[in-house]
Amino acid sequence: MAAKVDKLVSDYLKRLNGELRGLPRARRRELVDEISEHIAEARAGLESENEAAIRTLLDRLGDPEEIAAEARERFGLAPRKVGWKEVGALIMLPIGGVILPVLGWFIGIVLLWVSDAWSTRDKLVGTLLFPGGLLLPLALGVMAEESSGCGTIVNPQLSPQPIGSNCPPADGTGAWEVALVVMLVLVPLVTTVYLARRMRRASSATA
Amino acid sequence: MVATQDALLAQMRRGTLQYCVLSLLADEERYGFDLVRGLAVSDGMVTSEGTIYPLLSRLRRDGLVESTWQESPTGPPRRYYRLTDAGRAALEGFRLEWRRFRDAVDHFVERTT
Repeated sequence: MAAKVDKLVSDYLKRLNGELRGLPRARRRELVDEISEHIAEARAGLESENEAAIRTLLDRLGDPEEIAAEARERFGLAPRKVGWKEVGALIMLPIGGVILPVLGWFIGIVLLWVSDAWSTRDKLVGTLLFPGGLLLPLALGVMAEESSGCGTIVNPQLSPQPIGSNCPPADGTGAWEVALVVMLVLVPLVTTVYLARRMRRASSATA
Repeated sequence: MVATQDALLAQMRRGTLQYCVLSLLADEERYGFDLVRGLAVSDGMVTSEGTIYPLLSRLRRDGLVESTWQESPTGPPRRYYRLTDAGRAALEGFRLEWRRFRDAVDHFVERTT
């Protein structure tokens, strides 16, 4: 029970810290510290530290997004827009590998993990689905074309028109490969959309 | 109509909340948790307790309150808040303004036919 309760609290504080992105570092640390102390005081005053009591406590404290919005308002900051780390990650993860093989995707991974806009679970999703982003299906597609080496057959002495083709005829196995490539393309794109939606933003509620 | 009323209430709350905090500190210094719970006692004043802390931070930065650390009987030291002279002056100023404003609004809104 104690472990679960501690996890609730630490998750809350982590979320709060994330939502406070953009505030001066000192202000941010100060707020997290103070609220952390508040929680400690409240817990000390509880008769029994069960999950329900902690959840009530955190509810009374309020949503981290709301607290961060209030902080931005009090310090005269504009509501947070999406940060460069997050934009960078969302671009480099799917297509970074295409722009700059391997390294590009790697940059995306670094940005993803360095940013605090995503939970660890979301970061794992972004890393494992799909390594290499769109580079992999692109590379497979290119490799497939080159290895088959097929093309049209031309005998210039007979006629300038192509007289045939030595490309393998389309059959069932070809369709399977196409499906595989389509999936390899879709997965990174869907993952990118998923990450974009899971990103913690500042609320626009203050406006 | 409801939406703008909510917005108006929120604005009024935001504008006056700091003076409620200053007033709570007028008689004695208090620590964060204590202040927050003190405010929550009055219905409608605070929607989420956590939002008090940014306010306190701002009041400190503006020099209206100052804070000191003091040992606590139960656990780690607590941050205690107290009014500065500037804070006291601001509170007094607000009291006068508020009375005038409140009376003016009441004059119209609290009329009994």
